[in-house]
Amino acid sequence: MSLAIDIIKRNGQRPSENFSREKLHASILAACLSVRTPVGQAESIAHAVSDSVISWLETKPEVTSHDVRRITVKHLRTHHPDAAYIYEQHRLTI
Amino acid sequence: MNIASSLAIIALAALIHASFQLSVSVLTLLGGHAIGAKKSQAKVLRLTTSFVFGVGVMTVLLLSFVSLVLLDVFGGQTPQVVWAIGCGLLFGVGVAVWLFYYRRAKGTSLWIPRPIASYLHERTKATGRSAEAFSLGLTSVLGELIFIIAPIAISALVLIQLSPVWQLVGIATYAVISLLSLTIIWVLIGSGHKLSHIQEWREANKYFLQFAAGSGLIILGFYVYVVEVLGSTVGGV
Repeated sequence: MSLAIDIIKRNGQRPSENFSREKLHASILAACLSVRTPVGQAESIAHAVSDSVISWLETKPEVTSHDVRRITVKHLRTHHPDAAYIYEQHRLTI
Repeated sequence: MNIASSLAIIALAALIHASFQLSVSVLTLLGGHAIGAKKSQAKVLRLTTSFVFGVGVMTVLLLSFVSLVLLDVFGGQTPQVVWAIGCGLLFGVGVAVWLFYYRRAKGTSLWIPRPIASYLHERTKATGRSAEAFSLGLTSVLGELIFIIAPIAISALVLIQLSPVWQLVGIATYAVISLLSLTIIWVLIGSGHKLSHIQEWREANKYFLQFAAGSGLIILGFYVYVVEVLGSTVGGV
């Protein structure tokens, strides 16, 4: 499912793209799995967090990928702090 | 310099090398991607093992190459000025590590050129086979060359003074000790530890690791300067 919302990537250094729920879901799922969360629990957390991020996005015509990441971390932290930490650190590790 | 002192210098240089964090960061990311992509524990272990093996091979190749070049240029008798330059390199890199090693931001981002960091990040994400993990290991050593060149150069200077058999022992000692930190992370990932705990520890202790690496380089530089430059000058007089 794609919402008609433009995601501005890396402050415009890369082309904008439409928001993709699948992509967000997959990234949250990967973060949960990478901290050894059982698959079923990881799926339901990814589902719940994706819903929360989409309801935040619905009021905005365009957002940056950094904003999406920040809001995702905020919601993910309430479900799984370890996964939220890994999600947040993903681009800050190297 | 006797064999024990030579091996002690090589061991300390390798320990300093082990405290550098680029390969550890890449291994942590690689483990995270592999586990996050629902790969089996055996596959995760194969990927991380290949990565560590790649790092080890490149470390040995690099040390051997620098030793060969120095041996070709200076033979067994290294001029004092070259020792002094080697010590200067250790001091310079030591101070640079104190000042610049980690970026002043959240996480464990390093002061390496951003294109190299982005490349390693993208390659880590794309790595799904053992051969790719092995080459990622080779590349990550080159990525931190700016920092590891000092301990490698001083180890090479020490190595070329040894007999061939002890040179092999020295290279093996350097390779094993320089892989210690990577081996610890490899064991933790392999035994099922959470990556978040590993990364949290790394982030919480990053300034200690930075201080230890910088101090180690300066102490090593001071020791080698006293033994090889001042010692031979005073002995010569």
